[in-house]
Amino acid sequence: MTDAPNHLESLSRREMIAATAAALVTPLLPGGAAAPPAVGVPGKFLTAAEYALLDELTELIIPADDHSPGARAAGVAGYIDGRLAESLEPDWQARWRSGLQAVEALSHELNGKPFLEATAEQRVAVLTRMAAGEQDPKTAPERFFRELKGQTAHAYYTSKIGIHLDQEYKGNVYQRGEFAGYDAT
Amino acid sequence: MTLVKVAPPLDQDVDLSRTYDAVIVGSGAAGGMAAHVLTTHGLQVLLLEAGKKLPIEQELRSMQWPYDHPRRGDEPPGSHHLSFNEYTIRKPPYAKGAAFKHVYSYVGGWSGSDYVKNIIVDEKDHPYTGTNYAWVRARCLGGKTNIWGRLALRLSDYDFKGKSHDGYGEDWPISYADVEPYYDKVDLYLGISGVKENLPQLPDSQFQRPSKLNVGEVKLRESLKKGGQVLTPYRAGVTTDGLKHNKYRSKCYGRGACDRRPGGCDIHAVFDSPTGLIYPAMDTGHLTVRPNSTAHEVLVDKNTGRARGVAFLDSVTRKSYEAKAKVVILAASTLESARLLLLSRSPQHPNGLGNSSGHVGHNFCEHVMGPGVTGLIKELVGKPHTLDDGRPGGFYIPRFRNLKDRQPGFIRGYGYEGNSGHSMFPAHVMDTAGFGGQFKKNVRDHAGAFISMGAFGEVLARYESYVDLDPDTKDKWGIPVLRFHYQFSDNERKMAEDMVATGREMLETAGIEVVGQDKEILTEGWSIHELGTARMGNDPKTSVLNQFQQSHDVPNLLVVDGSSHVSASCQNPTWTIMALAWRSCDHLAEELRKGNL
Repeated sequence: MTDAPNHLESLSRREMIAATAAALVTPLLPGGAAAPPAVGVPGKFLTAAEYALLDELTELIIPADDHSPGARAAGVAGYIDGRLAESLEPDWQARWRSGLQAVEALSHELNGKPFLEATAEQRVAVLTRMAAGEQDPKTAPERFFRELKGQTAHAYYTSKIGIHLDQEYKGNVYQRGEFAGYDAT
Repeated sequence: MTLVKVAPPLDQDVDLSRTYDAVIVGSGAAGGMAAHVLTTHGLQVLLLEAGKKLPIEQELRSMQWPYDHPRRGDEPPGSHHLSFNEYTIRKPPYAKGAAFKHVYSYVGGWSGSDYVKNIIVDEKDHPYTGTNYAWVRARCLGGKTNIWGRLALRLSDYDFKGKSHDGYGEDWPISYADVEPYYDKVDLYLGISGVKENLPQLPDSQFQRPSKLNVGEVKLRESLKKGGQVLTPYRAGVTTDGLKHNKYRSKCYGRGACDRRPGGCDIHAVFDSPTGLIYPAMDTGHLTVRPNSTAHEVLVDKNTGRARGVAFLDSVTRKSYEAKAKVVILAASTLESARLLLLSRSPQHPNGLGNSSGHVGHNFCEHVMGPGVTGLIKELVGKPHTLDDGRPGGFYIPRFRNLKDRQPGFIRGYGYEGNSGHSMFPAHVMDTAGFGGQFKKNVRDHAGAFISMGAFGEVLARYESYVDLDPDTKDKWGIPVLRFHYQFSDNERKMAEDMVATGREMLETAGIEVVGQDKEILTEGWSIHELGTARMGNDPKTSVLNQFQQSHDVPNLLVVDGSSHVSASCQNPTWTIMALAWRSCDHLAEELRKGNL
């Protein structure tokens, strides 16, 4: 819990605006209220410190931009934490815990300080190093990157924000003639 | 017309003291069709289904958004779906020793496997042994038709007369002309969407409104056309115009996202056996359905050697019952029907029922799949996203190999299933490198700009490919299980190489950059198109059934599912299974009327 205020302070102004914008936009979408942004919510499985780290990592992978809100507004960290909390697979849970520790270790190695105390550029440097072996991961942080990115992407692109605001998906509705195709006859 | 959402009630207490005209085992495409045809002829029919009758709309939840599901579609903790890796490095029974409470076959779809957990069987209850095989089974009313991939294709004389064409295997005891009228009946009774192409290797159906092709698909179609090849809109077993004679099924409203689950449609625009066949058959007043009925033996009259009924256990209480009938019709699926025949040993039939030929369980075949290609249509990158998936499927490229040409490496052929365009989930996300703003933009810009296709090829029927009963392993109900002796051979491996190389060439010729390819063949069984364990033929020494799917040994026993198929063809089998079942049951009704049985 003690880390949550630090985490809030670490939010950039742009991120705060994006998160707020998402909260304003999403209730207009079909299907009712949006999932609340996960900002500052203490973890269910993860400690508050781990949770804050995960939340920042997901937002670095899929950030808010001019087009759409990012992973934080989509509640990605909260979703991942919820899945970890109910999981009956201790190996999977342990991989996440040790993966987040590996991120911290790499941050100390590269920047000499904890990830969330590093500058924006320093954080990106850590993630860049983790992503270097994406196609053929070898080190612990590289292996964790694929898991982290996979879960982040899955949670984001199955979220209300991901499907409707980012991807602008048009289907899953009773069609009224707007199908963008051609007759083959 | 108002769609009837409430299915007719099933009988709580089935009268087992009477002798039915026919008892059918299995309620999928074959069993449902047998029930439809025989009740139409006024016969009194009992249908046994091993699984439950599910509230299927609540299982499928066709339009549920991922974010409205607590696990975005995934199964709850403690349940596990087998992966390709597990099927490869382990041996059946795959659930043996698993730490999970429930273990299921691979079937799920990208949106998660929670939607099929009550439809497909728990591998823990339903083990099998032997060689690697991804055996997908659905025990519930309607079986696999509840989730089928809905590609509805006809076979041609390239298939029925394959041996005459290339010398391999056996010809079927029928030709296309024998089956054509029954394909027409199936088309008109159940509805099918597609475009006529006038191809000898893929005969046309009586189509309803076709689905459209999108930009990438038209580009490939036009390019293939120049080389004399065909890309046609997905021939879907879907009613796009509606069916006036069926009050349980709606027409397709192009709601899309049909690719996110293994299949299934909660408005039943896609054919499924319960709404397409069984409920209408119940409305005739001639059909009794008993779910939770695990058949384990076809009973034989000690004096005549003829079938007299079916022994079954209540799947829940495990109590034993017998159903008596003048005719027994097996429609339990290719492998389960073979298992039932092998289980039905008696002094008259020591090798299993209808197995004097020794061919029951043999000549087992299917479709090989896995190889495929993905291309990028550059001019679509960065374009606004459009509604591209409001349809039951993308496209199909019919077989083109070994028709007029003779390939050096392999005999028979394959077709490609594919699609292009924007869908709910950007499948390319993990193939998009990096992270951050540029990564996010790349995912967005490239969504909808890919075209993918994967091949389904004919696996040759071989006597050496077979299943038998495992002497040591039993299922949850104490019934001996199947043991597999089945592996792909060189013909399939050579064909698989051609699938990738030719797919690349097709895309490149169309000016589409190849950005991905899958060379790996998926585990045996992956296509869920198992066929041929009780094949038809004119010679009782080398076949199990005659051309009307009647046992050579036991004339009042029919096997009307895919086990009767002589070869796998490369076309998806469901429509042929139903056409043949209709033909055989018409013949059966006539024989009964004449007093020949």
